[in-house]
Amino acid sequence: MRVLLIEDDPHTAAFIAKGMREDGHTVEHAGDGKQGLFLATTETFDAIVLDRMLPALDGLVLLQTLRGAGNRTPLLLLTALGEVDHRVEGLRAGADDYLVKPFAYSELSARLDSIVRRQREEAQREPTRLSVGDLELDLLGRDARRAGKRIELQPREFRLLEYLMRQAGRVVTRTMLLEAVWDYHFDPQTNVIDVHISRLRQKIDHGFERPLLHTVRGAGYRLGE
Amino acid sequence: MTRPLRSTSTRLAMTVMGAFLLAFVLLGTGVYVAVSTLLLQDARELVRTDAAALVELERDSGRAALVQELRDRLEAPDDPDAVHALIAADGHFDVGDAASMNLQSVRAGHGVRWTTFELAGDAVPDDGAQSRRVLAQLQPLPGGDTLLTGLRLQSQDRFLALMLRTALVALAVAATLGALAGWLTSRWVSHRLSHLDRTAARVGGGELGLRVPLDGSGDAFDRLGRRFNAMLDRIEELLGGVRHATDHIAHDLRTPLTRLRNRLEDLQRRSGATPTERAALDGAVQETDQLLTTFGALLRLARIEAQPPAGEGPELDLSALVADAAEMYTPIGAERSVRLALTLSPAIVRGDRDQLFQMLVNLLDNALKHAPQGSLVGVSLQAGEVAVLCVDDEGPGIPEADRERVFDRFQRLEAHRGTPGSGLGLSLVRAIVHRHGGRIGLLDRGPGLRVQVTLPLAGDAGRIARAEPLE
Repeated sequence: MRVLLIEDDPHTAAFIAKGMREDGHTVEHAGDGKQGLFLATTETFDAIVLDRMLPALDGLVLLQTLRGAGNRTPLLLLTALGEVDHRVEGLRAGADDYLVKPFAYSELSARLDSIVRRQREEAQREPTRLSVGDLELDLLGRDARRAGKRIELQPREFRLLEYLMRQAGRVVTRTMLLEAVWDYHFDPQTNVIDVHISRLRQKIDHGFERPLLHTVRGAGYRLGE
Repeated sequence: MTRPLRSTSTRLAMTVMGAFLLAFVLLGTGVYVAVSTLLLQDARELVRTDAAALVELERDSGRAALVQELRDRLEAPDDPDAVHALIAADGHFDVGDAASMNLQSVRAGHGVRWTTFELAGDAVPDDGAQSRRVLAQLQPLPGGDTLLTGLRLQSQDRFLALMLRTALVALAVAATLGALAGWLTSRWVSHRLSHLDRTAARVGGGELGLRVPLDGSGDAFDRLGRRFNAMLDRIEELLGGVRHATDHIAHDLRTPLTRLRNRLEDLQRRSGATPTERAALDGAVQETDQLLTTFGALLRLARIEAQPPAGEGPELDLSALVADAAEMYTPIGAERSVRLALTLSPAIVRGDRDQLFQMLVNLLDNALKHAPQGSLVGVSLQAGEVAVLCVDDEGPGIPEADRERVFDRFQRLEAHRGTPGSGLGLSLVRAIVHRHGGRIGLLDRGPGLRVQVTLPLAGDAGRIARAEPLE
């Protein structure tokens, strides 16, 4: 996909652009707000990565201008300020997701995939069933089965599995899981997510030859064949 | 003004009023003494003149003429206040009513004597006069008799009594006015000071944006308020500088750290590394993550401490947060067969949902970390006047001497050095509790530790509990 990167720090920009090109995306880079706004309004992109603090034109103002003009391109806002009010401010201005600097590339990549996919899915009908391989999830009946065999899940485990299945084939980070499944923005002291994942893995992968829930080292988890 | 006697302004007003009344009483007493002395002197002068005339009569015309004169005067007095008597050498009253005059000793020595006595009985018509006091001169006559010439002091006494009554009424009026003036002054002063007091209390509580309202009158209170505001401006400026610096540290130091991590990740991705190299890289990434986490926690702590109180935040049910946190940590406990036992009742508090959740997570994490294998960690939440949250474990507890210390940044007990953790968990908990107007305490359960957190409830009860008592 074609991504517009608006970031003034050359190091950060280079590192993001390099990672994205390795992932097979095309990257256009703008070094300040004015140039970024110009590119965003004159060309078409699949996604925008926008730094909040920019010379010439503030990132938040750029975002509001873009949304005000009816541009709905999925946008990930980057910032050094991680406070709740800043996050709320960014999301209210029209950002699809928010990432606090500094971040690992895998986190950015996972989140970007997630917002692009979300917008594509919004156009489609909300599914009532999800399936990955022989694992099936009935969202209406709250029922999970693998190879036809029913799996008993706690409500939270069901939400965890649902989220992983919606993001099937993509890397999901621990922070993304915390925010999406538990809906709290906080700093877990221990590997609490890992423990929940391993319990879920017990239930869906135990006794099957091919595991579905994979750990991606240094990044997070991925559900898929 | 809940404690009027302890209020400086009231004390001041009362002191002024007291001094004022004391001066009034001293002045009044002085005037009273001077006037009464003057009146007495006048009376003596009258008596002396009268006596001199009578003595002269006796010398010129003899005793009989004097007796006759005195009797005439007694029967038809020119002056109703005059008192006369002639006392023989044996003490017998030749003229005058001995019974009405309770004279102690008529036995005159030589020379003139002055005496005062009360007229007794109904020897004098009871005309409603308040005073029966008589000022009399005892004058020995050559024949051995004693001439008593006196004057009833009723008009003088009436005047003095009137003066005293007037003075007392004036005193009462002055006292009332003084008290009223004092009360008004003290109310005014405490009203003017209350703005300052309230603002100082709230600024102390973290609302750094508040300023004392000024009325522009330029009086002492107004000037004090202006100086106070200038001081607050300065403090805010300095704090803003610190916050700014913190943000910049976040930006400037965390960014290179992340860059380092990304480079390591890049190396990890490249194939061709031997298992040993790979393990070393994994270790390096983990170390970097640990460092970033600690750094993040430190920044988070600094920001929470600088935030204004969370008392105006949205209302939320703390028990739901506790239940969520417990649900999240139950599997962690289960790994070491530690069970979580919940006793929750609803408690509506105001504040930041994510921060309160962070607080609960840190408390549970601590308790689970120190709970012995197979033991029970109890979490209870009760709502009375305040919300009381207790997290109990059966672990080794914390020695009394260390209980305050564990809240400080990077303070870890020697016994826990080996376990993972940044040493910021409890500091963060305390900062969040304080920001929400609550208190945290560590109690001994013998064996084990109870962490008790009290938070003010939302609604009127909570608001009253939070309000600072004012003068």
